[in-house]
Amino acid sequence: MATRFSMQRRLRMNRPSLRLRSKPPKDRTARGQDFTAANLACALSLQTCTECGKTNYPPREVCESCLNDELLWKPADTSGRLLQAVALHHSLWEFFKRRLKKNTWPIASVRLAVGPVVYAHLALELFDQPGASDIASGSPVAVFSHSDCGNQSVLIAVPDSVDVSDAKNRLEIANRLGLTKAAERETTP
Amino acid sequence: MQSAPSRSTPSSYQGVALCAPVSMGYAKQSPRTAAWFVGSALRAMLKNTGLEKSDIDGFSVSSFSLGADSTIALTQHFGLSPRWLEEAPYGGAAGVVAMRKAARAVQSGDADIVACIGGDAAAHRSFEASAAVFSNFTIDASFPYGAGGPNAAFSIITQAYMQRYGVQREDLGRISVAQRYNANHFPLALLGHKTLSMEQYLSARQIAGPLHLFDCVMPCAGSEAFLVMSEERAQFLELPYCLILAADELHNSHSEDDVQYRGGWTEFVPRMYEQAGIGPGDVDILQTYDDYPAISMLQMEDMGFCDKGEGAAFVRNTDLSFDGSGSEKKKLPHNTSGGQLSVGQAGAAAGLLGIVESIRQLTDCALGQQVPNARIAMASGFGMINYDRGLCSAATLLGRA
Repeated sequence: MATRFSMQRRLRMNRPSLRLRSKPPKDRTARGQDFTAANLACALSLQTCTECGKTNYPPREVCESCLNDELLWKPADTSGRLLQAVALHHSLWEFFKRRLKKNTWPIASVRLAVGPVVYAHLALELFDQPGASDIASGSPVAVFSHSDCGNQSVLIAVPDSVDVSDAKNRLEIANRLGLTKAAERETTP
Repeated sequence: MQSAPSRSTPSSYQGVALCAPVSMGYAKQSPRTAAWFVGSALRAMLKNTGLEKSDIDGFSVSSFSLGADSTIALTQHFGLSPRWLEEAPYGGAAGVVAMRKAARAVQSGDADIVACIGGDAAAHRSFEASAAVFSNFTIDASFPYGAGGPNAAFSIITQAYMQRYGVQREDLGRISVAQRYNANHFPLALLGHKTLSMEQYLSARQIAGPLHLFDCVMPCAGSEAFLVMSEERAQFLELPYCLILAADELHNSHSEDDVQYRGGWTEFVPRMYEQAGIGPGDVDILQTYDDYPAISMLQMEDMGFCDKGEGAAFVRNTDLSFDGSGSEKKKLPHNTSGGQLSVGQAGAAAGLLGIVESIRQLTDCALGQQVPNARIAMASGFGMINYDRGLCSAATLLGRA
């Protein structure tokens, strides 16, 4: 319940959009907070089952496959296959609403080579396609994590040709997406 | 060694009657809370049937907006003393799930008259708050990515479906446009006062990926309710009723599919037809769960109205209006009240909409859009976008008594 009420409070704070600097959603469950912590130090860290070896995502308490509760956060292979990429034109959250005034917000669903399906922000400008939906389903991509300005780790999808092992590279991409900076209020109300 | 017994088929729902359909309280926004919507639907049902509150000994509630309450809290609120309780907040599948459980309770004597009620509130901007915390997977792994709410997941499902089977926006639009026509004749539909043409559908503003405004339901407040009792009791009370010919459900099926393009119906609907002794061609009215038109198309395919991937061709050649006024030769009245796309989506109450409308149609008490001589209706449910796909699939075949 605590999550729920703080989320409602945040939404109230977030509307009407008077706040000077709005940030991406930062509420996470306890395991979601673990995801953020585990991903601070590497390109991608996911829960790996100590019993059956399955890589699990979204963050959870027990393994989807064998229900074992010992899931260790381990660096995971960043490669994956794009399932679909879409551009959002509408959002429920003030941070994205402000970003959407300038441009659509592209997101993707990706099947990671290690198994799970993930949602990720899409670094569209690194793909040689004009729109998110023009990128062919099945395209090889890399998915890495980065902190956003709400201090939460989020996933970002790029073409597989991009070197995501370099932290500088990752920061640069996150910066260009506008994730690392709060969205500022444009006009004084 | 003996082999393991195979999965059994649900036994017959013979002798169970569905009656007293109620739809009410539809509003884009309301200061009332869920208890008002559930309680008022109960009041309307008692008024319509002449039953007393004390006659209701089974109580099933479907709602996303009960807050700190649950079904049991509502018994004290309403002064009810049921001997059977159920809570089925399963979104689009809530109706079939609640109905199946209530029917078994009646068959086994656990309850005599079960009130199945879906009711949801819609306070100012409450949808945003509930979308943000719909599930733990949503909080951690889908909402932070653009905060598109259900539109984001469904834009991916719709785009994948359109690419896979070569579906055009015009095909999906046929569902929205036909349903709006039906809603124009259904007084409770929140968008029923507006007509919708294909040109309007195609030129609507874009929401997410291939989804445009008229592909999306409008969240609203409202309630849907019906009573489940034995056939003898319904006859004794002289209530018009319909029968359950078959019903089943399956959840989190086909989880290996990259992007959802089918639901659990593929696994159980053939058995339902077998049990009812009919085929899809015998269905006079189809009520699919239409949170997005592609999802309705997917149900038409999975429930055998056409082959997989033929949904677009099917809706091109089929008149989906309630009165058969379209030019197509093949007729299948679909979402005869306008569905959620035109009535509005009242949270988990929307999951009961198809069944409630089917009961009205099969007992000749439709509210202005009666399908003449309908004998068999099919209502299906789909729901709960926990993360990247709808987890619930459910369906029922209902027959005129």
